[in-house]
Amino acid sequence: MIDTLLLLALNGLVWGLIIALIALGLSVIFGLLDIINIAHGDFFMVGTVLAWASLEATGNFWIGFIIVPLICLVLGALIQTVVIQPIRGVAALSIVATFGLSLILQEVVRMTFGATPRRILPPISGTVPLFGIDYEIYRLFAAGLSLAALAAFFVFLQHTKLGTWMRAVRHDRDTAIAMGIPAQRIYTVTFAIGFALAGFGGIVAAPITTVDFRGGVDLLPVCFIAVIIGGLGNLPGTAAAAILLSLLEGIIQSVANPTIARISSLVLMSAVLLLRPQGLFKGHVR
Amino acid sequence: MSRAVIERCVLTAFAGFMLTVPWVVPALVNTFWVSVIAEILIWSLFAASVNLLFGYVGLLSFGQALYFGFGMYGVGIGIDQLHLSFWPAFGLGISAAMLMALVSGIFAVRLTWHYFAIITVVFSLIFYFIAVTMKPLTGGDDGINFTLPPTFSWGSAQWSFINATFQYFFILATVSLCFYLMHLVIRSPLGKAFLAIRDNDVRASLIGLNVYLLRLTAFVMAGFLAGVAGALFAFFGRYASASYMFYHVSGEAVVWAIVGGAGTLFGPIIGTSLFIIIRELVSTHWEHHSLIVGIMAILVVILAPQGLVGLWRAGLDWLTIREAADDHSIGLAAEAKLRTGL
Repeated sequence: MIDTLLLLALNGLVWGLIIALIALGLSVIFGLLDIINIAHGDFFMVGTVLAWASLEATGNFWIGFIIVPLICLVLGALIQTVVIQPIRGVAALSIVATFGLSLILQEVVRMTFGATPRRILPPISGTVPLFGIDYEIYRLFAAGLSLAALAAFFVFLQHTKLGTWMRAVRHDRDTAIAMGIPAQRIYTVTFAIGFALAGFGGIVAAPITTVDFRGGVDLLPVCFIAVIIGGLGNLPGTAAAAILLSLLEGIIQSVANPTIARISSLVLMSAVLLLRPQGLFKGHVR
Repeated sequence: MSRAVIERCVLTAFAGFMLTVPWVVPALVNTFWVSVIAEILIWSLFAASVNLLFGYVGLLSFGQALYFGFGMYGVGIGIDQLHLSFWPAFGLGISAAMLMALVSGIFAVRLTWHYFAIITVVFSLIFYFIAVTMKPLTGGDDGINFTLPPTFSWGSAQWSFINATFQYFFILATVSLCFYLMHLVIRSPLGKAFLAIRDNDVRASLIGLNVYLLRLTAFVMAGFLAGVAGALFAFFGRYASASYMFYHVSGEAVVWAIVGGAGTLFGPIIGTSLFIIIRELVSTHWEHHSLIVGIMAILVVILAPQGLVGLWRAGLDWLTIREAADDHSIGLAAEAKLRTGL
């Protein structure tokens, strides 16, 4: 009993770190471009599929950790320029456009990759004893990698010129433009980074989950829950909420079935929305 | 010809076509398309419920599938478990949807914009997962099948959905009635209050409108439209399933309404027809028809942000104003438009 609890809690924690990455991408896009990105789950899915493709092409899984985020950056920039830029500023249209984008991404993957789900073997096999249970090494590695990526993203946001510009445009677009910040380019970069974060989450998660053209559909609500509970525009809050939620779902799963675990996190989210719309955590509110 | 005359002609032609569908369409293509048109009518009503909230009150609901699902299950469970006849089951479906809309609306309309979109999708997801879990009652994703009781019976004579022509006209009459009711509401002072809230809720409350109560009213009305659509769809398919409560179904309705033209009575019908006709035309030849739907959705929001009805109106204005200019009898409004270069 304690063993299953521990295993599920650990699994929840690992997933939480990966989801934190993806939700962060969603939150950045939402905060800066004011876009409700329905296609964000599919960005993750594209990451898992690209991971599979790069493994097939090169025979080496590790190369994917460099290639996949780069492809996602390019794809993100391309999509922002072609689809998002012409409708920027109108949130209702952004929902329709990203819904269309989601359909396109899923269909293109279904046409090229196929409709059958596939599995990728973890590049590191074996288990390690941890708190009395044998735990998969790759999952620990995935958790570490996600944590490193999260840290790197926050360092980028706080300590680089581009990161500062991104924060400036989000804070006050007109002043930022007046100060000579190329806002239009910042939008493109932000969207690309949001895509890359989800794509990176995709390759990290690929050996844990299945690679499927519908892999993003279930993930999207979870990411939105994390963004809301963490507080719209509150990036550290989003990351913390993603980790807490997955941990909580993991723990509930040890006593009830996954659907009930999902229902309880949805109910929790409704309560947060109604009682504390600024999010569970204190901090910068947009 | 003025704009009103053109629009009246188009409407008359449209009404004439709809009334003769069971005879004209099989002669032109085949009988299969009669049921496609019936399905379009049902989904148009569902898109209209999104449109009532978004186009007229300014609330973007991403969870209308919940009330569609309740309408569906009201009918399905009513017939399958409670052994109700046609009309009580219809009533059960609609009232279940409206009750659910009232209860969730009490919480949801306290929020606006992004928060409203997200809480409506969360509510619908909660009940989607509950419906999936309660398999004995709801059949989960597989759904429940049932045989349909007759709609009217008079002695030994019966009218039921087994007769495709009766089915079509029943759906046409119900959907038309709902659209007519919506038209009456929009024309009424209540509709004007909705528009005031859509345009500026602070000002609306300053002139003494109870914004919360009005939004709740609109939400329950939208629940009614979605519930009728769901109940009709259950009759139409003799089937109810939890999969119709998933957020993708709500999302499709949002796309249909906005592509057709939010804030117009006929926008949802046009948007829904476009996408369902494409789906039916393409899906038999090519399994990746969603690709076309996705590309169309993006193209429409980029090229015609006012939707297809907006595009039509702009085109009509352009035509009629040019004719008026040739006439040398420019109306004041048209003159102003010409001056500002529109």
